[in-house]
Amino acid sequence: MSDTDLIRSARFRQEREDDWRKLSDLVDKAESQGLHRMSFQEARDLADLYRQATTSLSIAREISLDRGLLEYLEALTSRAYLSVYAPQQRLGGIIRKFLTAGGPQAMRASWRVVALGFLCMAAGAIAGYFFYFDNPEWFYVFMPTELSGGRGPDASTEYLRAQIYGEDASTGLGAFATYLFSHNTRIAIFVFGLGAFLCAPTIFLTFYNGLILGVFYALHIDRGLGWDMFGWLSIHGVTELSAICIASAGGLQLGLAVLFPGQRTRRAALRAAGHTAVKLALIAALMLVVAALLEGFGRQFVQDRSTRIAIGWGIGGLWSIWFVLGGRKRS
Amino acid sequence: MSQAALDRLLPPEGVPLYFRIGGIGVRLAAQFTDLLITGAGAVAIFLLVLALNLATPTTAIAVASMLFFFIRIPYYAASELLWNGQTVGKRLMKIKVVSADGQTLTTQSLVVRNLMKEAEIFLPGTLVLTLSTEALVPSILSLIWVLGVLAVPLFNRRRQRLGDIIAGTYVIHLPKPFLLPDMSKTMRPPSVAQPSFQFLTHQLEHYGAFELQTLEGVLRSSNRAKGPDAYKRHKETLAAIVVQVRRKIDYAEPVRPEDQQAFLEAFYKAQRAFLEQRQLFGDKRQDKHHAASPDQE
Repeated sequence: MSDTDLIRSARFRQEREDDWRKLSDLVDKAESQGLHRMSFQEARDLADLYRQATTSLSIAREISLDRGLLEYLEALTSRAYLSVYAPQQRLGGIIRKFLTAGGPQAMRASWRVVALGFLCMAAGAIAGYFFYFDNPEWFYVFMPTELSGGRGPDASTEYLRAQIYGEDASTGLGAFATYLFSHNTRIAIFVFGLGAFLCAPTIFLTFYNGLILGVFYALHIDRGLGWDMFGWLSIHGVTELSAICIASAGGLQLGLAVLFPGQRTRRAALRAAGHTAVKLALIAALMLVVAALLEGFGRQFVQDRSTRIAIGWGIGGLWSIWFVLGGRKRS
Repeated sequence: MSQAALDRLLPPEGVPLYFRIGGIGVRLAAQFTDLLITGAGAVAIFLLVLALNLATPTTAIAVASMLFFFIRIPYYAASELLWNGQTVGKRLMKIKVVSADGQTLTTQSLVVRNLMKEAEIFLPGTLVLTLSTEALVPSILSLIWVLGVLAVPLFNRRRQRLGDIIAGTYVIHLPKPFLLPDMSKTMRPPSVAQPSFQFLTHQLEHYGAFELQTLEGVLRSSNRAKGPDAYKRHKETLAAIVVQVRRKIDYAEPVRPEDQQAFLEAFYKAQRAFLEQRQLFGDKRQDKHHAASPDQE
């Protein structure tokens, strides 16, 4: 069929078809191999052909009624757009970058919210302490039964001491898994995830967690086991409770973005807050794993009170050094 | 493909692009595939743990859920990082996560959308699964929570779940470019007995773009291979269309059954040339009611 027989839009298509096919091949290549592995020539062609294709699409929308062609061009340009403007990012060194810069920087940038998280927990603990000395019955109100493990105002002091220094039946991997999936990891995930709901669930859960801690601690002080309890809790608790506070700081950040978005829309503010909040959540996750290791392995092997305290707060100190000094630029 | 499920994006070139938004169904299907994959991985390692006697029966459940947890979280985040917003399930379903601003997906946004998935669905979901009559209240609460979270995508246009909103991402159908032949070029010549079909201007005034593109679809389907039954049905459809078109445009000459395809192809070409020309002059004709509707100009 000669060219003159063709209608205008068919000629339009015939003249550009080869370029479109070339672009299609390049897009496939960019998607399967990644833009950074393509040669300079190919990358340049991809960008050029993409721009030509957008022009073709814009013309075709005006002059052509060929649905097959229109759908093809829509799909081709959309796909080419994604490989030109939203290519695969480079992944090299993201873990190292997070550990040496992103993580500690996020902690420092959001120190106010982190302090707020610790404050919620501390307020809960103090309240729980006074609740217990007001009336020990409060213990049963706040403490979930599966968490107390038989410890309570009615248990004997010997039983409580045995719980602190006794050999647990399970050690090793099983214990590690059990501790990791105990109460605290769930709480950490919830305080982070529920934060977007105007902070309230996060504050409530963190405060409640503090209450549990407070009544539990008050029970042991009441029996004269305060320092022993302190050691038992310190070895993993310094890390674990800090992790919950940091996770709750992440959640609070999301909630504050919804409550006080400033000049931005709530959606944009939430998105901006998500950037630092996710770093806090990752730090909390890392700390929870370390805490489970300490709880599953460390607590059984170290029975001495002072060593327990030293290990727990020593590791807590290492965390603070990381948060305070990590990722600072040399001046 | 309804208009509501399209998302408009304006690239720097100034030509708006439209992406089809991934619906709930296709995303659930992708999610299910991924769950099967991670579940299978977790079961394999769990059997290894059992074989090595690392777990006692009392801690087996905790170990299993820990393995599932440790495989699941890195799986989602890592595969979406490596494949630029696609997991295996998403690749199968041909959907993809893209950034709401049309730029490159950042590590943070991919990690946050997958971490939120944990808090949104998996954790309350496991609470629902371990539902027992003793802990009725937490179970019901988590059930309500899961249902509420699943309903969030229904209330926004881009079908974003909570994690998507925080991460600033959404899921689209990956468009598949497939160039079909131009129907105005694939004309078969009419049989020897019939001279070529001629259409006059007044005969092309009746139809609009919608009818033209419907005819295009019918003509495309006649090039597909089909069984005897389908072939017969297709012939009947063609005959019916020819009768309808001839009546509408007052085409006096009879069309013989073996020429029906050729007639429709010729009509398609003439109609398209006519409509495209009208369109160039600013007279866009959406469908056959174009004359009745108030003039756009």
